[in-house]
Amino acid sequence: MHAIEVSHLTKKFGALTALNDVNFSVDVGETFGFLGPNGAGKTTTIRILTGISYPTSGTASIFGHDIQKDTIAARQSMGIVSETSNVYDDLTAWQNMIFSAELYHVRRDIREEKAKELLTTFDLYERRHDKAHGFSKGMKRRLTIAMGLVNNPKVLFLDEPTSGLDVQSNLIIRDVITGLIHQGVTVFLTTHNIEEANMICDRVAIINKGTIAAIDAPERLKKTIQSVQSIVVSFDLVSMHQLDEVRNLSMVNDAVKEGDKFRLYTEDPATVIESVMEYARARNLRVISISTLGPSLEDVFIKLTGLQRTGGLIHAID
Amino acid sequence: MRLHHEISAAWAISRKDMVTYYIKPNIIVSGILFPLFMFLAFAIGKNAPPGTLIPGLIAITLLFSASSIEPVSIPIERRVKTFDRLLSAPISLHSLVFGESVSGFLYSMGIACLPLVFGIVLFSTPIEHAPVLIIAMALTAFCFATLGTLFAAYPTENVGEVMSMLNTVRLPLIFISGVFIPISEIPQIGQIIALFSPLTYGNDMITYAYTGTSLFSPAWDIVALLIFILLFQFVAHRLYKKFNE
Repeated sequence: MHAIEVSHLTKKFGALTALNDVNFSVDVGETFGFLGPNGAGKTTTIRILTGISYPTSGTASIFGHDIQKDTIAARQSMGIVSETSNVYDDLTAWQNMIFSAELYHVRRDIREEKAKELLTTFDLYERRHDKAHGFSKGMKRRLTIAMGLVNNPKVLFLDEPTSGLDVQSNLIIRDVITGLIHQGVTVFLTTHNIEEANMICDRVAIINKGTIAAIDAPERLKKTIQSVQSIVVSFDLVSMHQLDEVRNLSMVNDAVKEGDKFRLYTEDPATVIESVMEYARARNLRVISISTLGPSLEDVFIKLTGLQRTGGLIHAID
Repeated sequence: MRLHHEISAAWAISRKDMVTYYIKPNIIVSGILFPLFMFLAFAIGKNAPPGTLIPGLIAITLLFSASSIEPVSIPIERRVKTFDRLLSAPISLHSLVFGESVSGFLYSMGIACLPLVFGIVLFSTPIEHAPVLIIAMALTAFCFATLGTLFAAYPTENVGEVMSMLNTVRLPLIFISGVFIPISEIPQIGQIIALFSPLTYGNDMITYAYTGTSLFSPAWDIVALLIFILLFQFVAHRLYKKFNE
């Protein structure tokens, strides 16, 4: 049995097809990344999987429970952390936890114990009697995730868990997610942080315009676009006009400035390295460092979603 | 076990609303001040002894206070996305609608005790059938709390939008339900429309509790209010389901 099974899922809003015959499954204990540009269908998929919205056609099940026909049983095994930190500002951290436990039918005798354990894990126990209204963005995020874990979920839906957070919150949340993965909890992660997905996901699906463009392990996806390789080089003197010059070197498809380095995209790294060295000699520049990089998951994402990298920015193309 | 879970979750939702929304300024204005000033506007022009106006004041207090909680709380919760938390919880939509309605019901019962106590303390208004009054207040409060929950199903994050729609129903109800003008004195078309107003039956039963006289029998008023409650609960459930598609 799969933790999540999605079959021929289609969702239409009038003439707009938000999801078009989406199929995938997530194994028990797997960490599954769900990536896509804004408006690709990620949120619609999560809303259907959590039973908030209904598909136009197709089915979705959680641990064998059809989300439409057996909604409550399916939801009982879920933890849901939405993109917005949806805590009750007028309730204290403790009241938020207890309310969440009550909604998920956590037994009265273990509610308080669980709330204490989670608030401690997320470094919020000392502030348990404070209303969430006064919490920072990171603290609200941590509280949201703590509320999502109060029922010991078998599958956790995490929507942008670490977006825009401070370092402390980021570290705590990543530690907790890693811990859950080790405990065998199935994690369904949507994120714009592709590097985060690359680091923690067993597999990722890339969705674009309501259709799944690819599903595979991050490393296998990268191998599909070996043509997108890059050279990262830094010189002892850096100026902006060098960007146009290195972009025009032989066999360079594109170049972006990344801090004090230039990243040159190419299909022929050997030729580009020679060109870079010649360029440096001609300009009396010293090469501080130079390295070759394979395609990143972000490169895969850009290629599959039809986006285009131009001068360090990413643009949508039709 | 399932039923116990559903009731517990519905009660948790009600308690959350009590802690979070009962003292919000827009609920105090809409649920307490609005019915009070509306009542005074009509009562001042009448020559009736103040004590005789208490049943009408209780009726419109129940109408406005019971139907004011959810039209405020649910659009706010949509805006801050906490409503998604309720929609995705392992509870049925019936329990969600019921739990939301209970918070409006309890609020209304508390607020409606104010004119009740004023009537007793300030005007020595006699209550002939106290048990009937309790049943009338409870059924009327729950009926209008469900009406508020029903209107709050409209998928907006703007409190004003729901309140505007609700007031287009609430305000006419006052004039056709016998609160200020006895139903027997309004034109025949108004008398027919009055039959479709739950406030008619609530007000009729409250009047009976105070005076011993009424247009319908208390038993008929109870049946009518129960029918409205079931109808509103059913429609609210369908609307929440439809608007989440």
